[in-house]
Amino acid sequence: MYAFRYHRAGSIDEAVRLHGSCEDPGYLAGGHTLLPTLKMRLAQPSDLIDLGDIDALKHTATTSGALTIGAGVRHNDVARMSHSIPALAGLAGGIGDFQVRNRGTLGGSIANADPAADYPAACVGLGATVVTDRRQIAADDFFVDLFETALEEGELVTSVIFPAPRRAAYMKFPNPASRYAIVGVFVAWTDSGMRVAVTGAGASVFRVADMEAALARDFSPDALADIRIPEDGLNNDIHATPDYRAHLVTVMARRAVVRANASSDGVRL
Amino acid sequence: MNLSGEHRINAPREVVWRALNDPVILHQAIPGCEAVEQESPTSFTARVKAKIGPVSAVFSGRVELKDLDPPAGCVISAEGTGGVAGFASGDARITLREDGQATLLGYDAEGKVGGKLAQVGARLVEASANKITNAFFSRLDGLVALPETPPPQSTDESPTIGHRRQEVPLERVLIGLVAALVIALGVVAAFLQ
Repeated sequence: MYAFRYHRAGSIDEAVRLHGSCEDPGYLAGGHTLLPTLKMRLAQPSDLIDLGDIDALKHTATTSGALTIGAGVRHNDVARMSHSIPALAGLAGGIGDFQVRNRGTLGGSIANADPAADYPAACVGLGATVVTDRRQIAADDFFVDLFETALEEGELVTSVIFPAPRRAAYMKFPNPASRYAIVGVFVAWTDSGMRVAVTGAGASVFRVADMEAALARDFSPDALADIRIPEDGLNNDIHATPDYRAHLVTVMARRAVVRANASSDGVRL
Repeated sequence: MNLSGEHRINAPREVVWRALNDPVILHQAIPGCEAVEQESPTSFTARVKAKIGPVSAVFSGRVELKDLDPPAGCVISAEGTGGVAGFASGDARITLREDGQATLLGYDAEGKVGGKLAQVGARLVEASANKITNAFFSRLDGLVALPETPPPQSTDESPTIGHRRQEVPLERVLIGLVAALVIALGVVAAFLQ
């Protein structure tokens, strides 16, 4: 690890101000991607601004049909919120391992925008809104490309607003070692229509319009049986080929619909 | 890993070549490029500061051109090192084709990644490489794309200029491309998989 200056911000304003005054700074949330990167000397920030002391990032609130989760809330805490949006809690409980869930945060995960991370599927799948220190961004516009978001330099995610769905579920085919999604599909029947969001398969999370249209006609796994997404542009690595990933998208989407229907006791906030 | 594709650059070959012969344009087209230097008529070095996700590193790439066959294409051999991050090397076959007023640039590269990158970045190598090459081509297209009506006054001269310059510009195309590929191979990763 290279040397860097360490700051511990007490408020959102202080964190953003510090970021603006440093030469090559970075925010430190749970650190589960950043710290391994630093240890391997693959990054060399001049300053790190620790967000761990900012209470304003740890609030959770339920208001008029939506769940607002602070960016600093850890995966394990979201996993315990099964009374509000079970699909979201289930997703959080399946991230990484217990240690990762005990440190990693919602804001850190989506700001990093790893192509195989789980949370982007929930944000796009539920039609969430990302709140930052300066504006609100629809999840559909937030994730731009591989490790690329709509965030500006120094912009800090403060919370995410998840509208409660009528029915929803997330299913993933995890890498057995890391639990990263080789393919993960979030299916949601929301007040504004059907949403199908896929993570792990491409450079960034994406929606599948054909599946959404099919589910709008018939919310059953059979409605998706004949829909196969094109493999062009899908990820290729030692774990899975684009062809295999395309196949998995349909399989995971169908399983998600089965699970969503099974837990249709409903979500009412 | 294999990396291949074809990009349409919205300008005649002549124009693309001339533009690519301009180091200033190359600097602008290669994401994060800090320097391009010519060592000999067929070898170049490029220094690029690359950032993908949490990884940020300066990579030095060295490029050798082989089997030059202007203007149809050639083979390039490249290697890049990024300090402790690791190294990357590979061969790429490049083809240039005319497509009306535009140019089709095809590439087919076979690369290897070693060191820390290979250990921890395997799942992200190809996605990163694709992102960087796409960024290179879209910047290039933005820099050289012609207005809808091509300027007629250059037609007299261009065959001569084209002939005289064919070799150099082709090499320049390759530097840009290879720099992009090398960084792409090189940059990748710290994500524990």
